Amino acid sequence: MASSSRLPILRRISILLKAPPSTTLRSSLPSLARRFFLRKALAPNVSPWIYASSSRFCSGPLNLHQGSQGPAAIDYRSVLSEDEYHRLANSTIQDLQEKLEEYGDIVELEGFDVDYGNEVLTLKLGTLGTYVMNKQTPNRQIWLSSPISGPSRFDWDHNAQAWVYRRTKANLLKLLESELEQLCSKPVNLS
Amino acid sequence: MLRLVAKRLLGTASGDIPSRPLQILPRLYHENVIDHYNNPRNVGSFDKNDPNVGTGLVGAPACGDVMKLQIKIDEESGKIVDACFKTFGCGSAIASSSVATEWVKGKSMDEVLTIKNTEIAKHLSLPPVKLHCSMLAEDAIKAAVKDAEAKRAKTNATLKGADVKSG
Repeated sequence: MASSSRLPILRRISILLKAPPSTTLRSSLPSLARRFFLRKALAPNVSPWIYASSSRFCSGPLNLHQGSQGPAAIDYRSVLSEDEYHRLANSTIQDLQEKLEEYGDIVELEGFDVDYGNEVLTLKLGTLGTYVMNKQTPNRQIWLSSPISGPSRFDWDHNAQAWVYRRTKANLLKLLESELEQLCSKPVNLS
Repeated sequence: MLRLVAKRLLGTASGDIPSRPLQILPRLYHENVIDHYNNPRNVGSFDKNDPNVGTGLVGAPACGDVMKLQIKIDEESGKIVDACFKTFGCGSAIASSSVATEWVKGKSMDEVLTIKNTEIAKHLSLPPVKLHCSMLAEDAIKAAVKDAEAKRAKTNATLKGADVKSG
């Protein structure tokens, strides 16, 4: 274990993820877990977080079907193509950005700020809280963090032509509309 | 924090020369998160084939987070006597799963299902962008309990079958 820890963590992850396609997560996980869990054995000067970039390590959505104990595993590649996903997600987020900026002009709220950078939309409502919305491309989802409802993950519902959070059946735009009205006391139309 | 870092990186990549010296980024991790990172509790692994062990595996490397949370159930009382975790991800993800293993010990399986991601996030003062880590920890707990219950049901069914045969 001491010798394997010399190899940079990120390279070890990519080596393991390049395992032959027949290797399921189940069989590769014990070694994956053995090598990659973070513990205090890391050198003190290592930065306190390691962010795994999906473009570097991901060979595709993991095949979690076998023995998966977690929430339902779906192969998102078959649900929505990446191009189509980007088109839909970008258009939703950019549209929201414009509407939120207009809303900011109507609502006179101290500390109101809409910022869009690196495909992350951040809406600050002063002391009322902050919303963060970003794309989660591997899962074809839009992730939202709300000061009222916490984290949610929206999938594109083709029938409803809307972003829907499966667990609560919430619609992204409707959720934002109702929460913003609750927080800022002024209605908003985001559709 | 990611945005700040990304902006800085992009700034240097496109050759922009900052008009003022580089600023030192303010500390953005709550001390509870740093404590869990430096002194993680319950890191480890149980034998997943043990009938009294429930394993919850959530997340995906593509998203940058994988959490494996295991619970050991006492056969008689049905309570969780031990828990351990292994997490691949950011400091907040590690801290969230570490907190989860601390909180499930000594509780019954029904009780731990009431642990909410909001409580974990509040305990660690997670910023908005990291709330998803706490939700993943909540999912890991639920998955581990689901696995443990499935195993117990299977064991009970086998025992009943044996009783019928011998009776």
